[in-house]
Amino acid sequence: MTALALRLLNLRWTVLPPATGIAMMAMIVGALVAAPREIIEGEVQRLMYIHVPSAIATYGAFFITFVASIMVLWKRDMRWDALARGSAQVGVLFTALVLLSGAIWGRPIWGVYWTWDARLTTTLILFLIYSAYLLARAISDSTDEQAARYAAVIGIVGFLDVPLIQMSVRWWRTLHPQPIIFTTKPALPGEMLIVLLIGFVAVFLLAAWLISLSTETERLHQRLAGVRAGVDRHEGA
Amino acid sequence: MSLAWVVMQKDLRLAWRNRTAWLSAGAFATISVLIYSFAFDLATRDVRPLLPGVLWTTFLFAGVFAAGQSFQHEADEGTFDAVLLSPASPTAIFFGKAASNLIALLVIECSQLVLATILFNTALISAELLAIVFVGTVGYVSLTTLLSIMGSRVRSRAVLLPVLSMPLLIPLLIGAVRATGASLGIEAGTAPWMLLLAVFALWSTLISALLFPVAVER
Amino acid sequence: MDNIEYLFAGFAVVWACIFIYLLLLQGRLRSLQNEIERLEERLEEADRASARQLGFKRVRQDGTPPGDTR
Repeated sequence: MTALALRLLNLRWTVLPPATGIAMMAMIVGALVAAPREIIEGEVQRLMYIHVPSAIATYGAFFITFVASIMVLWKRDMRWDALARGSAQVGVLFTALVLLSGAIWGRPIWGVYWTWDARLTTTLILFLIYSAYLLARAISDSTDEQAARYAAVIGIVGFLDVPLIQMSVRWWRTLHPQPIIFTTKPALPGEMLIVLLIGFVAVFLLAAWLISLSTETERLHQRLAGVRAGVDRHEGA
Repeated sequence: MSLAWVVMQKDLRLAWRNRTAWLSAGAFATISVLIYSFAFDLATRDVRPLLPGVLWTTFLFAGVFAAGQSFQHEADEGTFDAVLLSPASPTAIFFGKAASNLIALLVIECSQLVLATILFNTALISAELLAIVFVGTVGYVSLTTLLSIMGSRVRSRAVLLPVLSMPLLIPLLIGAVRATGASLGIEAGTAPWMLLLAVFALWSTLISALLFPVAVER
Repeated sequence: MDNIEYLFAGFAVVWACIFIYLLLLQGRLRSLQNEIERLEERLEEADRASARQLGFKRVRQDGTPPGDTR
């Protein structure tokens, strides 16, 4: 079981990059060419095919940070810290993408780049929380276990804060239209749904690849610190 | 529980001995209320719509500032490691610490309420408002205590603590400001906002008490 | 409704961000790998030198291979 999991994990460098590339290409073609033009919102609605999957991928990445943070506190293994940091980075990137593409979508449709509506505000707060997480982790050494545990606490509290943020912000202000796929009518037409599914596959593959890369970077940072310490010991001796 | 009581008494004594830190937090809160009065020209306008926001931003910033200060002394002296080695359980240590912080902060906040009552000519000392302030403070004190203890060994924590804790505390801020506004008669109905505050207080106390022992264990 | 310029702006921004992040990551990965290789070589060379000097192969006390930080 674990051997199989490890084998699958090792495939990430050979399988993920080409798969991501193909899926992203399919998504662009689908979004720009294949999908029908939305009647009311016009061309700009095609941003949905990257906006919505990115929003979901954000939560996925922060969930990975949450689980990895629990493992940091539980197992005391710095490899989990690398995963937590890596996926938090990707999560913050995707939150930024969601906010940017949302603002560009909102401008022609709502007439403004930004409104203080519940979903937007929640995304912004998430962006702030995890940027702070990355900041807290970045100003201390990658092998500093105290700092890793501190960051893990924020990774856990931040994720568990999400329902409260959503509740409070929804009560505070609400404008955003309910997402179209979850309401029964008007349902998303078939072609649009298929392209959206391709978008989901593409963005999830991209997120997985980016998380693998960023986690690997953090691991190398930790290894480098180890090697440096070895050299120092050697030359000091 | 009795151990938490002992720790709290010890921490309160410590807070008293270390009262310059708390006095500076109180002075910070006072200055902040005065600065808001100048910035928003609260002397001449109808201040009631702005007052909840002024009060709660003051409370939160003073609270975060005080949490960092209150623990700094122990972190510098290294006495906290000794406390962790004592027979008191980490949970008891945490509750003692949070409770002593809570009491000190409530003193500061009540003094600010009195000050604001005088400055802005609005009756701010009511049972309802005191209840809101109490629940709201319970809501943020456990999180700031947890984060300040965890962060005491991390570099540039003075800036980091507010940057980290403020986004996490936004639900509390919204609930507290709205509840305060409702109790001042700006809008109708404190009940939903009190519920939000209570849920947040319960959530933050529970999660901090659960995480603290795991996080400091060595 | 003609708002195709917003569509292109949106896609351009998203792609630009993703590519910049990818390039940054690749660059950082490469420089880290180079640095680690360089240091490990130095460590090995020093090992060999001290082994020649002392007449035996130097073994690290904890028995871990160089660079393992687990």
